[in-house]
Amino acid sequence: MKAVVLDGIVLGLQFGLLGVGMTLVYGLGGVLNLAYGQMAVLAAMVVAVTLGAGAPALVASGAGLLAAAAAGVVLDRTLMRPVYRQRGEHRVLLGLLLTLGVAFVIDGLLLWRYPSGALRLAIGGEAVPILGVRMRVGSLWATGISLAVAALLLGFRATTPGRAAHSVIQDEVGARLVGINPAAVRTFIFAASGALAALVAQTRSMTSPVGVTAGFDFTILALIVAVVGGLGSVAGAFLAGVLLGIVSTVSAFYIGQYITTIVLLAAAALTIVLRPRGLLGRSP
Amino acid sequence: MLEVAGLAAGYLGENVVEGVDVEVGAGQAVAIIGSNGAGKTTLFRALCGLLPVSAGRVRFDGRDVTGQPTHRLARAGLAYVPAERHLFPGMSVRENLLLGAYPKRPQAATEQLVFDLFPRLQERRGQPAGSLSGGEQQMLAVGRALMSRPRLLMLDEPSTGLAPKLARSAYQALQSLKQTGVTLLVAEQQVPLALSLADRGYVLENGRIRLQGAAAELERNPEVRRAYLGVA
Repeated sequence: MKAVVLDGIVLGLQFGLLGVGMTLVYGLGGVLNLAYGQMAVLAAMVVAVTLGAGAPALVASGAGLLAAAAAGVVLDRTLMRPVYRQRGEHRVLLGLLLTLGVAFVIDGLLLWRYPSGALRLAIGGEAVPILGVRMRVGSLWATGISLAVAALLLGFRATTPGRAAHSVIQDEVGARLVGINPAAVRTFIFAASGALAALVAQTRSMTSPVGVTAGFDFTILALIVAVVGGLGSVAGAFLAGVLLGIVSTVSAFYIGQYITTIVLLAAAALTIVLRPRGLLGRSP
Repeated sequence: MLEVAGLAAGYLGENVVEGVDVEVGAGQAVAIIGSNGAGKTTLFRALCGLLPVSAGRVRFDGRDVTGQPTHRLARAGLAYVPAERHLFPGMSVRENLLLGAYPKRPQAATEQLVFDLFPRLQERRGQPAGSLSGGEQQMLAVGRALMSRPRLLMLDEPSTGLAPKLARSAYQALQSLKQTGVTLLVAEQQVPLALSLADRGYVLENGRIRLQGAAAELERNPEVRRAYLGVA
């Protein structure tokens, strides 16, 4: 049981980071990016290809982060432009439709180019005992990286750019009045969200392969985490990520792998019914 | 400091204000007075770039700034305090103030000036802005605008939602601000309050300037007295 919970936390931290990328873009621009998972897979394929070409691991990893961040910038500066001009539910709907289109295009291109592509960052070494549980080295790396990035995100919130980004979520008109350019903040956050997706794709691949078709799985997972945490709430996404990670491994262990997606979706549905704004969502 | 010539603006292609000429000299306090729906807010939103200008020009500090985005105008020294305040409710009073200085580094001296003007803000610096009372939120909105050391401070209905006593003390604070040399442009429907602060005033009616002149002159004007000062 302890091992299952620890595995859940390892998984959950990554869920959390994945959710943060989704929730931030929604909080700032009112867009639920349905191509989010494809950005993750795009990064995974870039890493796999550059590794295959003989590049050092860090270079390959950096190339993956850059590719996904660049995809975020391009998306924000081109297709999202008309979306940001819309208000309210028109914006959400147009955002959903356009990013869904992008998701299909990236999915199709990657599948066509790398039909059996998969990223597996194998990290060898003996399993290490933690709290009496033998943890794989890959899990430990994934956890270490996730925790470091989480700390980085928390620290960023206290910096001037972090505060500026947060202010746009809180009140966009207020942000403009103090001299913040919301469009620039959105582009930056879209890029950061791509990098987060890329990062999670890589940490996931340290324990299990990330295949070319994994895009929508990532997207759905990110959506569930963001909704349960409260759309727009970074702390909420982390909390939801860890909780859902544990729920996921426990249900996989006691019931079966096939049931986890259903259990996660049920958790999301239950949250929406009981707490429509999510665990740490803002009141309107 | 601010010259507005023939300005027209509105919503959905329909002009709410039209042919508006306003001039604010450096160090002056100018009031735009008018009843609810006269177009004061529309005029202010157009001046600070929150609403597109459909005709006319706006010059700020000798430069044509017509149609410039709000964040640029803010950085150039034009600060606007809307009636709805648009604070960052989930952030502390202090964080709201720090963001006021964006993108510059917040100056401790400016922060002290704000706290001297509004001691209540210092008491509540750690509280989320959303938990403040209406009067305190108004103080914070003005304080946040002051953090950038603006050249022109525009206030839309600073007395909105305040009890008469609080409204008077808000205007006292503006009076002491004026003494420090800040240029003020205030829209107000409580005309006696506005004219007590202002050097000059404009009367806005149905989106057009009907009267203008020195504040003392407007106070004596029979039309103004009848329509806005409740004197028969």
